[in-house]
Amino acid sequence: MNLWDQWKKGFAAWESTTAAYMEQVMANPAVLGPAGQMLTLAMKTKAATDKATAAWWAAMGLPTRRDQERSLHKLNQLESRLADLEEQLAEARSAQ
Amino acid sequence: MPPRRPPGILSSLMALAERVRTGPPKVGQTPADEVWRENKWRLLRYRPTVAKADRWRTPILLVPSLINRYYVLDLAPGRSFVEHLVAAGHDVFIIDWGTPTAEDRFLTFDDICHRYLGRAVRKTAAFGPDGVCHVLGYCLGGTLATIYTAAEPAHVASLVALAAPIDFDHGGILATWTRSPGFDIDALIDGFGNVPWPLMQASFHMLKPTANLAKLVGLLDRAWDDEFLDGFLATERWGNDNVSFPGECYRRYIGDLYRDNALMRDTMRLGGKPARLGDIDCPTLAVTFGHDHIVPTAAATALLDRISSPDKAQLHLSGGHVGAVVSRKAAAGLWPQLSRWWAARDTDAARGLGDDASDDVDAEPAAAPAATPAP
Repeated sequence: MNLWDQWKKGFAAWESTTAAYMEQVMANPAVLGPAGQMLTLAMKTKAATDKATAAWWAAMGLPTRRDQERSLHKLNQLESRLADLEEQLAEARSAQ
Repeated sequence: MPPRRPPGILSSLMALAERVRTGPPKVGQTPADEVWRENKWRLLRYRPTVAKADRWRTPILLVPSLINRYYVLDLAPGRSFVEHLVAAGHDVFIIDWGTPTAEDRFLTFDDICHRYLGRAVRKTAAFGPDGVCHVLGYCLGGTLATIYTAAEPAHVASLVALAAPIDFDHGGILATWTRSPGFDIDALIDGFGNVPWPLMQASFHMLKPTANLAKLVGLLDRAWDDEFLDGFLATERWGNDNVSFPGECYRRYIGDLYRDNALMRDTMRLGGKPARLGDIDCPTLAVTFGHDHIVPTAAATALLDRISSPDKAQLHLSGGHVGAVVSRKAAAGLWPQLSRWWAARDTDAARGLGDDASDDVDAEPAAAPAATPAP
């Protein structure tokens, strides 16, 4: 067995032990709790910043990013509704 | 064709250096036509290579996960599940979910699972003479396909749930994370809109933090083998080409499925209708993998315990969540078995199959494990 094969064997043993240990760490509430709280705090800060920016834009009478997103979404929904109607029409025609 | 290199690290390094020049491998190469497009998603139909008289009657719709690209099922020539099915005479369709943009944060679970998936099923079914299609869902795509079939069974001839989570009480570490009190789903959606793919990819890496290192060692060990390297690079390209998750849809996905386990509690609803597993009575196959650390076997096989179909089976194979679907082993085992499973459930008129179509399935290569009946 050459040096590389020996090293691989050692690595495989380390990897399987470490993976099993890390899985326990990642499922540990003592890790999950603070990690979740940090993510939540970051997200709430981002949402508050976005809201403040949007309020500033809106105060100047300008459409906000969210307004544009809502409009585009409505357009997409309209396209889908039209496709629904086309399908229903085709179904009704074929039933006649 | 480059000359075969001798095994060894030096050969591997040379092979990798050569690949730097040639760039990333091409993926999703099986010729296909777009038959429908709506918002970001589209429905593709692969061009048949078998004469019409020799093709199976019922078209097949493949539903990939929302967060990954569809071409995992059409990775590269010779490594493509789709290519295999087309060559076996199936009429194959696939959903490309596309890339959600900022406005898609408002897309709901019903928009995707009822309106979009429903349209894909109906459009696919319309290509067959019987107005039905076989549906295969992979991973989250399998969960979506199962929910849709439970609520709207009309056009679904059969269901294959490929490594699809159903019972989220057995959802493994992902379920532990999403059920952690510190994980505030509303703050995440309000902050991000769509859930960004780097966040999801990082969480998948954290499922097995040593996996990337092990992958690197495996690459150094076997990169001298061109066939291995082709597959590795194609899979890596796919693995690093993810899409973000539409926010509102994600909110319900985590809330109803991961936290409330709504499918197992029979409280899931789709488009205003109940989506009860017990209402699924079409032929159903649950495919599970022995080393799947994303969807544990128990999370996937729960489907078979709940459905009312008399024709249900589990196919349990070795391998991981992705490797077992795209590897060379899959080409010899999983793919032909799925093809035969569908062929046996095609109508009798097709390809001269008699009343006992299951004879075709039993004629398996000895090495390939057969589909086992559900308990």
